[in-house]
Amino acid sequence: GLVQSCGHIIPESPVLALGSNFTALCILNESCLDFGNIYASQIIWKIKNKVVPKEQYREINRTVSSVTFNDTSSLATPLTCNVLADGQIEQNIYGISVTVGLPPEKPKNLSCIVYQVSKLTYPMKCTWNPGRHTFLDTHFRLKYRWSRESFPDCIPKYVNNSCTISDVQFFVNLEVWVEAANALGKAESDRLVFDPIEIVKPLPPHNLSVNSGILPTVLKLSWENRISAAVMKLKFNIRYRISSDTNWMQVPPEDIASPRTSFSIQGLRPYTEYVFSIRCMKEDGVGFWSDWSEEKVGVTTED
Amino acid sequence: DSHIQYERVGADVTMKCGSMDWDAAVTWMANGTDIDDSHLNGSYLILKNVDLTQSGQYFCYEGSSWHLKYQTILRVGVPPKEPVLMCRSNNYPKGFYCSWHLPSPTYIPNTFNISVIHGTREMVCEKDVFPKNRCHIRYLQLFSTVKYKVTLTVTNALGKNSTSLTFDEFAIVKPDPPESVVAKPVPNNPRRLEVSWQNPSSWPDPESFPLKFFLRYRPLILDQWQHVELSDGTSHTITDAYAGKEYIIQVAAKDNDIGTWSDWSVAVHATPWTEEPKHLTTEVQITETTSTSTSSFMPPPTTKICDKGAG
Amino acid sequence: LGAGQSIQKTYDLTRYLEHQLRTLAGTYLNYLGPPFNEPDFNPPRLARAERVPSATVDLDLWRGLTDNARLAANYRAYSRLLCYLRGLDGQVGAVELRHRLGHFCSSLQGLVLSIAGVMSSLGYPLPAGPAGPPLPPGSSAAPNDFLKKMDDFWLLKELQTWLWRSAKDFNRLKKKVPPAVVTLRLETRGF
Repeated sequence: GLVQSCGHIIPESPVLALGSNFTALCILNESCLDFGNIYASQIIWKIKNKVVPKEQYREINRTVSSVTFNDTSSLATPLTCNVLADGQIEQNIYGISVTVGLPPEKPKNLSCIVYQVSKLTYPMKCTWNPGRHTFLDTHFRLKYRWSRESFPDCIPKYVNNSCTISDVQFFVNLEVWVEAANALGKAESDRLVFDPIEIVKPLPPHNLSVNSGILPTVLKLSWENRISAAVMKLKFNIRYRISSDTNWMQVPPEDIASPRTSFSIQGLRPYTEYVFSIRCMKEDGVGFWSDWSEEKVGVTTED
Repeated sequence: DSHIQYERVGADVTMKCGSMDWDAAVTWMANGTDIDDSHLNGSYLILKNVDLTQSGQYFCYEGSSWHLKYQTILRVGVPPKEPVLMCRSNNYPKGFYCSWHLPSPTYIPNTFNISVIHGTREMVCEKDVFPKNRCHIRYLQLFSTVKYKVTLTVTNALGKNSTSLTFDEFAIVKPDPPESVVAKPVPNNPRRLEVSWQNPSSWPDPESFPLKFFLRYRPLILDQWQHVELSDGTSHTITDAYAGKEYIIQVAAKDNDIGTWSDWSVAVHATPWTEEPKHLTTEVQITETTSTSTSSFMPPPTTKICDKGAG
Repeated sequence: LGAGQSIQKTYDLTRYLEHQLRTLAGTYLNYLGPPFNEPDFNPPRLARAERVPSATVDLDLWRGLTDNARLAANYRAYSRLLCYLRGLDGQVGAVELRHRLGHFCSSLQGLVLSIAGVMSSLGYPLPAGPAGPPLPPGSSAAPNDFLKKMDDFWLLKELQTWLWRSAKDFNRLKKKVPPAVVTLRLETRGF
């Protein structure tokens, strides 16, 4: 049989765009011609083990045969170049793996949220729509920079539609975009420009306490804010319900629209147990509401 | 003319009758009253363990001729204790003042001397006419990391003491309380009070050195205050005042970045707006009002949001 | 961003940095240990620490500074302070502290860029001159560990003082260049 390699295919291991056309060449080594009495005309192209119709072949010259596919979607791995040597024995000359896929689409709907996780730590999570499946190994990178300073890319782990920057800086406009890249090309999302302070979802207030006042229709709710005034001033929502009831009532938002750490809720029913919960967001309404806080129970005094 | 003689409380004092011999016959008087012989040793006046009440004018007359041979003013007192010194900038960045007092009186005149050192430079502390125990220093430089050292020395005839303070420029910035605090009810709003105030007039440049404010308020019926911190503006609307209850309100001020809070302002009182009581004429109206009042405790017109646990 | 808006943002950043530094400096001085973390510690300021840009300024001179000079002074100071600070964060043993110092350096870098942004929006050239000192005190120039710590002490104190000064500087500028009436909502903002 033929021990040494008698030829090769170019291109070697191509990555091809789905639906495009493709031509491969099988080039026989001169040395083999003499030895095996082989000619390009004897070459048989196969996909997996299925013979490619001869109409797609073309003998370029004595040592080179080409095969053309008008639509790569019929292609698969391996694509082999074989020859019918010595009459009837088919012999493999060379094979390549063929990868067919799509270039990445432009990532869309990029959006980011800064999730406060502690008094001093503010990771920013950005999510996007990665676009169609590309059938190829496609890498996504979240890129971000200041006007005159770039930062190391954020490389998503295990997913291709989100990345989290560990500790973001406030009060400096940040330009953020996503880059998708694979063997067939690269695509960039639209660029967002924002100050991360405008997309914060703060931690809810904690250490709630409820004090019954002297009046049987009043309870005073106190709490601690977990975001410093140097970062942002807060406004609040307070909701409350009678313990046995499922319907929440809400303190008029305009009454708690500025920084504070307590509020007296009035008009309550005497000698009744109430449940309270509070949430907060940036005072100017730019950003996201926090989750609702832990619930806290209080009982009004008797009338 | 008589000279002043200072003696410590508890000291033993011996006065000689001028040039008179020990055995000369003399008469001692204090503040116009004779001193009995038990205090005399010959012509010497002996005052044991003197106390404050023994301060006064002492005269010694020759026995027969009543010629005045000696007079003195005795001032009984104590040496000064370590003075209490306080420095504060209530008109930053113009300067700061230092004021001092003695923890306890000395009963005799004291003189105070103050020196202000900033790095290697001695600064002038201009004494105020009033209050007496105070002087002020004009900042020549701002934003200094070099500490100021103020040393106060107090001296009187019986002794001397001193104290010193070392501080950073920013540590002593403490504005005066806000002024012209006014609190008013808000018509048709039974739970609101509008509070306004002005920057302390002693604060020279609120534009460049803005103040932030702390407002505290409570109904007279409660002891516990509620607080709100406000970083811009000189007014605030209290939105959770107890309907119909009189409130006491105070405001404090602080430089937006440095220093400490002022003392609380003068307290003002106000009561939220309440609806004019209706004039009851007929039985029907009474029952109608009663039914309205029973519904009055219904929760305020608030938005019913969602079922329990909904976000 | 308009000049007014970028000044406001720079002012907010200055106050945010000052807030961060307050806790960070305390943690760092505790890391250095006594006497550096004692409230009344008042060491002499040696030659190396004198190289750290001083915020001290004559009051009347400070008041009379032009906007350009005021901004340039801030820009030069923080550019150099940043270099010194990076000297600190390189050799801190505690991982958490080093992370926070690193984050703070990044914030400070943001301040330098913000000031540069304000200057360019007002049409002022950026100050030339060395971006950093020839021999930052944070480097191995200090002959022994105690003196090195003293340099760090003065660096943090000067930085704190600069931030207080800058808050007043930018507050003054804010009053002179109010934010544009209509805030330009950038269309590309996807959230």
